[in-house]
Amino acid sequence: MDEKVKVADRGKTLEDLKQTDADLRLPSVVEPAHFPIETLAPEARQQTPAVGQRATRPDGRLHGLGQTKYIDDITFPNMLHAKIKRAGIAAALIKSIDTSEAEKMPGVMAVLTGNEIPVNSFGPSYQDQPVLAYERVFHAGDGVAAVAALTEQIAVEALDKIKVEYEPIEAVFDPMLAMQEDAPKVHPPHDNVYATKAIKKGDVEKGFAEADKIFEGRFSTQMIEHVPLEPHASIAEWDGNGRVTLWSSLGRITLGRADISRTLNMPINKIRIVGTVVGGNFGGKNEITTEPVLALLSKKTGRPVKMIYSREEEFIASTTRHPFIMDYKTGVMNDGRIVARKVRLVLDGGAYCSWSETTLGKACILSAGPYNIDNLHVEAFCTYTNKTMAGAMRGFGAPQVCFAYESHMDDIAHDLGIDPLEIRMLNAFEEGSLSPTGQVLQSVVVKESLQTAAERFGWKEFSK
Amino acid sequence: MKHRGKGIGCMWYPIGFTVAANPSAATVKVNEDGTATLLTGTVETGQGSLTVLGQIAAEELGISTEDVHVVSADTDATPMDTGAIASRTTYVTGNAIQLAAERAKNILFEVAAPMLGVRPDQLEARDRKIQVKGYPQSALPVGEVANHAQNGAGTPAIGSASYNPPTVAMDPETGQGKPFSTYVYATQIAEVEVDDETGEVQVIRIAAAHDCGTAINPMLVEGQVQGGISMGVGMALEEEMLFDDQGRQINPNLTNYIMPTSLDMPHIDVDIVENFDPTGPFGAKGVGEPTAVATSAAILNAVYDAVGVRVPNLPATSEKVLAAIKAKRNADPKRVSAS
Amino acid sequence: MTDVSMTVNGEERTASVPPETTLLTVLRENFFLTGSKLGCDVGDCGACTVLVDGIPVNACLMLAGQAEGRDIVTIEGLANQDGMHPLQQAFENLASLQCGFCGPGVIISAKALLEENPDPSVDDIRDALSGNLCRCTGYTKMIEAVQDAARIMRGESADEAA
Repeated sequence: MDEKVKVADRGKTLEDLKQTDADLRLPSVVEPAHFPIETLAPEARQQTPAVGQRATRPDGRLHGLGQTKYIDDITFPNMLHAKIKRAGIAAALIKSIDTSEAEKMPGVMAVLTGNEIPVNSFGPSYQDQPVLAYERVFHAGDGVAAVAALTEQIAVEALDKIKVEYEPIEAVFDPMLAMQEDAPKVHPPHDNVYATKAIKKGDVEKGFAEADKIFEGRFSTQMIEHVPLEPHASIAEWDGNGRVTLWSSLGRITLGRADISRTLNMPINKIRIVGTVVGGNFGGKNEITTEPVLALLSKKTGRPVKMIYSREEEFIASTTRHPFIMDYKTGVMNDGRIVARKVRLVLDGGAYCSWSETTLGKACILSAGPYNIDNLHVEAFCTYTNKTMAGAMRGFGAPQVCFAYESHMDDIAHDLGIDPLEIRMLNAFEEGSLSPTGQVLQSVVVKESLQTAAERFGWKEFSK
Repeated sequence: MKHRGKGIGCMWYPIGFTVAANPSAATVKVNEDGTATLLTGTVETGQGSLTVLGQIAAEELGISTEDVHVVSADTDATPMDTGAIASRTTYVTGNAIQLAAERAKNILFEVAAPMLGVRPDQLEARDRKIQVKGYPQSALPVGEVANHAQNGAGTPAIGSASYNPPTVAMDPETGQGKPFSTYVYATQIAEVEVDDETGEVQVIRIAAAHDCGTAINPMLVEGQVQGGISMGVGMALEEEMLFDDQGRQINPNLTNYIMPTSLDMPHIDVDIVENFDPTGPFGAKGVGEPTAVATSAAILNAVYDAVGVRVPNLPATSEKVLAAIKAKRNADPKRVSAS
Repeated sequence: MTDVSMTVNGEERTASVPPETTLLTVLRENFFLTGSKLGCDVGDCGACTVLVDGIPVNACLMLAGQAEGRDIVTIEGLANQDGMHPLQQAFENLASLQCGFCGPGVIISAKALLEENPDPSVDDIRDALSGNLCRCTGYTKMIEAVQDAARIMRGESADEAA
């Protein structure tokens, strides 16, 4: 073994290591290439003008040939495999972490805990998330220690040998309970409600007073996982110049690099992120996950280190779609015109803020729907709970509020005896309409989309 | 007995970020044979954005999609980009690319003008040629101009630019402001069949009419809409992460977390609503996220139309729908369904 | 360690692996055929689908030893120097794959279908793909591509029925 490569002494002989390597060594076979070296580019890619063409995707061809290299398809010489131990308890103080038994295992090359991470926190709005939990566990999917080993299997087995002593503390899982004053605090001394937003337009009480009829409804939505077919994946390689290269499934490499620079406390120009082809994102790969851990494990071992989330980790340790509780109160005239609306949104943010601020903002602005409402009051709250964190997911709160305002709209239409298409046409934004935030809207085609969909569907002709 | 119903979901959705600046930068290099290389810091996460961005560069340079090679996602080599989020890539990164390509094109115009005996502002780039506006017979192949720019004039045609959507911060008290530069609009209409004995909901078909401004690549827009609808179907009827009373997940696997398979998906008709946004690249806005917004509303309104029950908490599993049907029967024993 | 030998994409291949090794691991790590993907490791997602004696199988659930002497076809075995398989061409033409991670498994399942049923209905195709999860596409353009490829393989032009 190269003397210069830094390998921590963990009481095992070079013979042990050699034997472990020997057990893994396999005969190599040269694979013949079956794929076509080149085929012609389809017509739509050759034409001008380029805009408006149904141009095919060069990357799409490689996907179909099986040639696309996702992280799991990339290997480097001497590459190690990492795994992270998950807390499995939703709220606790960490009394001790004993990694000594794991370190003694043949094939285990390095172990990492939260105290070894230069700045052990990250997050896009507030840095409230530890890279590896060290003093306190905020949700059951928190990582508490990481292992790099010669194989993934050895790393998994080593996790069982890491002993963590927890002191359970009171947890809170229901967002409505979490908002109460006497609720256990998820991130003491901070309040559980960590983000609020309001929109006020016109005079909502006056609007209700003038309305012919008032409708009220409560709607709620569930926590959803992104389920990218490719789980989160990264490879880190720390080189002799103290630069680290990360191949990552991250969807936002510029901001990711800044986060990694912060957690590792090193200059941005010492960090290179190569964004590989991402096997599904949907907002779930918008923030760093294991990258700082792998970088440090690579620094410790002098070898490239890879980690792929298991499907279970994808569920318990990555972000999710915020569950919403939505209260709607709407004043309408008998002809179906909406004159006032009050909306209250409670978002379950889980253990960390992540992209909650953006989700809250978008949900607030969009919550009245694409409709002209002169008197509007929206208030929204996001609260911590000791559950898997919610973050960015395709639509940032919009699918939740759309479900509510459109369900509510049909309840109103049904009660007033107005066709659901007509009540929407009556209230829809037009070119130059004022949004809830007072913005003059441009290129507005709500009515055109209603008419186009109704025509395609056969709305008027439809019979059951 | 099975009942059919129809339901509408109508929505609007912003393009780009709310809370902070979210710029993109890009570099376009025209090679000496008239092909081009585009450098962008965005990441291809499956939506086909690199193809669309290549089309935008090609359009500005008057060349074809195939003529542009896109290099992406390497922080050592590509310009900064806020990332593949917030349905911003076509609009924000696309605008940066159009500006970068325009700068490279202007170098070609400067070089071509004396070759064609006109002023640079009298030129346009079309069909792989630099030509005089209104006189297409007076033209030079873009490769010839690019070669001369690099190897004759010594001014290689390279352009870099950035773009950030203009916004106005929201007032903290009233929320008034201009949080986004532009929005897209869409309607989805669903037909469902509800079995009143089991509560099972089958989505039969969905008509989806989406605005994305100019569709840079209609085929990829359709793909986004179809995929967004599949997420909407899952949200409406199937998907839910469940926790035990200790805050541990009960179903963290694809055996027990149910998401749509090919058997769950309705027939989908996609219409792209004709539109042009003056602030977008060639009139384009975006399409990624908005496709997943209206589906669950349309499906649940169709369930309401079919059997007269409102399920206010998602997902509307068979158990919930059946319980709602039973509750309605108990309240009004004479009527099985509302219509 | 146990020795396994099988035919993979028409070539005789052997490997010496621990007995608990799956077919997927042997394909990816011993034979360097990384087209078949690991998406869930328990047979839920279908990203690892390969043909074993012509039948689509989740390679993550099959032990390498169970593949002894069998004929395996992976995504890498579909194209040859003359060109892509009609399914691969149709999937490209219609942009049927987005992130592409499920693609090799989907195309293998579709190949198995078309070998058994050259003129499948939309429902037949939905059935055949029901073991392959895709989060990006809503399956719509995949179904259209399988129909197009079926037409080509029957000697018709792709858009004849359209």
